[in-house]
Amino acid sequence: MSTKTATGRVARVIGPVVDIEFPSDAMPDIYNALTVDINVAGQAKTLTLEVAQHIGDNLVRAISMQPTDGMVRGAVVTDSGASISVPVGDVTKGHVFNTLGESLDVPTSSLKITERWPIHRTAPAFDQLESKTEMFETGIKVIDLLTPYVRGGKIGLFGGAGVGKTVLIQEMIYRVAENFGGVSVFAGVGERTREGNDLFLEMTETGVINKTALVFGQMDEPPGTRLRVALSALTMAEYFRDVQKQDVLLFIDNIFRFTQAGSEVSTLLGRMPSAVGYQPTLADEMGQLQERITSTRGHSITSMQAIYVPADDITDPAPHTTFAHLDATTVLSRPISELGIYPAVDPLDSTSRILDPRYIGEHHFKVANRIKQILQRYKDLQDIIAILGIDELSEEDRILVGRARRIQRFLSQNTFVAKVFTGIDGSFVPLSETIAAFEALADGKYDHVPEQAFFMCGGLEDVERKAKELAKN
Amino acid sequence: MGAQLRIYRRRMRSVKATKKITKAMELISASRIVKAQQKVAASTPYSRELTRAVTAVASYSSVNHPLTTESEKPIRAAVLIITADRGMAGAYSNAAIKEGDQLIELLKGRGLSVNTYLVGRKAVNFYRFRNRKIAASWTGFSDNPTYKDAKAVSDELIKVFIADAQTDENGVDELHIVYTEFVSMITQNPQAKRMLPLEVVESTTTSGLLPMYEFEPNAGEVLNALLPRYIEARVFNAMLQSAASEHAARRRAMKSATDNADELIKSLTRLANAARQAEITQEISEIVGGADALASANAGSE
Repeated sequence: MSTKTATGRVARVIGPVVDIEFPSDAMPDIYNALTVDINVAGQAKTLTLEVAQHIGDNLVRAISMQPTDGMVRGAVVTDSGASISVPVGDVTKGHVFNTLGESLDVPTSSLKITERWPIHRTAPAFDQLESKTEMFETGIKVIDLLTPYVRGGKIGLFGGAGVGKTVLIQEMIYRVAENFGGVSVFAGVGERTREGNDLFLEMTETGVINKTALVFGQMDEPPGTRLRVALSALTMAEYFRDVQKQDVLLFIDNIFRFTQAGSEVSTLLGRMPSAVGYQPTLADEMGQLQERITSTRGHSITSMQAIYVPADDITDPAPHTTFAHLDATTVLSRPISELGIYPAVDPLDSTSRILDPRYIGEHHFKVANRIKQILQRYKDLQDIIAILGIDELSEEDRILVGRARRIQRFLSQNTFVAKVFTGIDGSFVPLSETIAAFEALADGKYDHVPEQAFFMCGGLEDVERKAKELAKN
Repeated sequence: MGAQLRIYRRRMRSVKATKKITKAMELISASRIVKAQQKVAASTPYSRELTRAVTAVASYSSVNHPLTTESEKPIRAAVLIITADRGMAGAYSNAAIKEGDQLIELLKGRGLSVNTYLVGRKAVNFYRFRNRKIAASWTGFSDNPTYKDAKAVSDELIKVFIADAQTDENGVDELHIVYTEFVSMITQNPQAKRMLPLEVVESTTTSGLLPMYEFEPNAGEVLNALLPRYIEARVFNAMLQSAASEHAARRRAMKSATDNADELIKSLTRLANAARQAEITQEISEIVGGADALASANAGSE
């Protein structure tokens, strides 16, 4: 890496992509941060760019981290000699940062920044990876039973627009981060700015903010920022893991915006669009990010990533590329959210690497499979019911349909975050209770309880209480 | 994308196959219903006359025949429930079974124990699945019953009715029948009727002279000969009505199933068309985008 600083001149500006000419003996390295001082409407601003390509003829192609309004050809560009870096360590806790590591809630100068790390780093080596697998209890029935999360693993929440990804991520922050010994890092990638603000205020109220670092590059930012903000957050998380030897929770909402930002600049960088208009480097970009989110010996990064699914099509290349990297995938589906069942987890599409008797035990595995079988059978029967009516089903199938409908409703749960919508407090159901409850349901021990009683419940005692209330009316 | 389209196509194929079956069954039922209706019409005069004759004998003679007098302390009743052998007839069988359940409840309320006799596989399956006791069952002729079938059923019923309920655990004091009355192509009603002991019509309304009947050799003998015929005729008529009702119910159920299938095919076709169109749009924009990118890349290098 060169440390000398050279200056160049802006040769071409196309939106967020800028070509800059440098002296041939002082070309900046790929990923180096460049700065330009510009004047917009009388205000002096410093823009940061990141070198993406060397395109020959002494030109480098760079991606801007801020809007390029006011940039002119010939403007002087300074090579910083290093890549973008962000502050790391205890100083980051309790504050909000942008991609460049500037604090957004207090003046950056007031922070005592002791160390900065470049955001481009290599993934941990093979021999340092954690090999132990352990389940991570969330207290949400459908997740614990059907898509058990891995401590130190990567968890994806897939879902189309408006099915509850962000709510579920925030529920996880509420459930996990509050009772978590380690540090949390939240990356807001291309999502609503308002949500980021709400999150910050809420965390300040509950005090979780003191062990949380927030990094935002929301929808109003140019693609360069959205492309790098996940890396900035990840760098902070890596410092906690590698230097402070702590367990880290990393929340990313929403990883699809990272891909989207990549595709926005890809064509401008001169790459040929690939399938569905995405960048040809889609898998590579995703791999470089995801491989860094990993647990090393003894110190974990447990990450939860919301992944937007364009047009509810899960085979779209962007969510599809992400799939391969995850330990547990929770798919939120529209037909289920239309039934009013929240969290709208699709029990048949969602899965987990550790849904295996070796990790979660024989009993849990068997119950989970039975539940899936019942729901799958119900799904298969749906067409028959639609055409011939429920009277034509065999006696066994009719009972199974009743059970499946009860299970479907019992998979909904009152959440802490949704209290503002429902007025009902959230509930935490221990794993053993979840397994026992679903086993009883599959055995038909609750066939006599009306379906409605299973709606938005915690454990079985909630169901019984509701059933009594219903019987009274 | 392509996967989505394939899934829609596959579902459409399966719905279309189902529709073919339901359509065929609708047509078959529609053609059979005419015959069944004629049979009901043909059996009704005989059944009516026989009922009139038996009622006359019972009403206008002073004989105390065991078939006509109510037991003072009835302890057991027999219920014959007539359903279909096959499904695909909507709620037809279930309605009869439900009517039967109500009757059984009622009888139990009167302190009677109930033996159930079933006609039709649907009722048998229903009872077997719930581990309920079946006294006897007959299957295989629900859509086209013959007099022989009716006789087999009646023989059994008469046998248990004649047996003394006090000493024989199969013996019963009352005979009830549950069948589906065929009113018209649109209306069929499940009915529960008592066959024995006869509900003797005390002719209080008729003024003037009672008709004078003379019984040869005597009223008792006549009743002995008439009653089996009467039960057979009642059961046969109930079976024919039920068969006609079954065809009518099946025709209606299959018609609505065919309509539902049409509806499903329509919405699936829309979805499949949208998916196909999206795929085409996608491909066009990819080709155009690719060509554009190539063109501009070439332009830059020149």
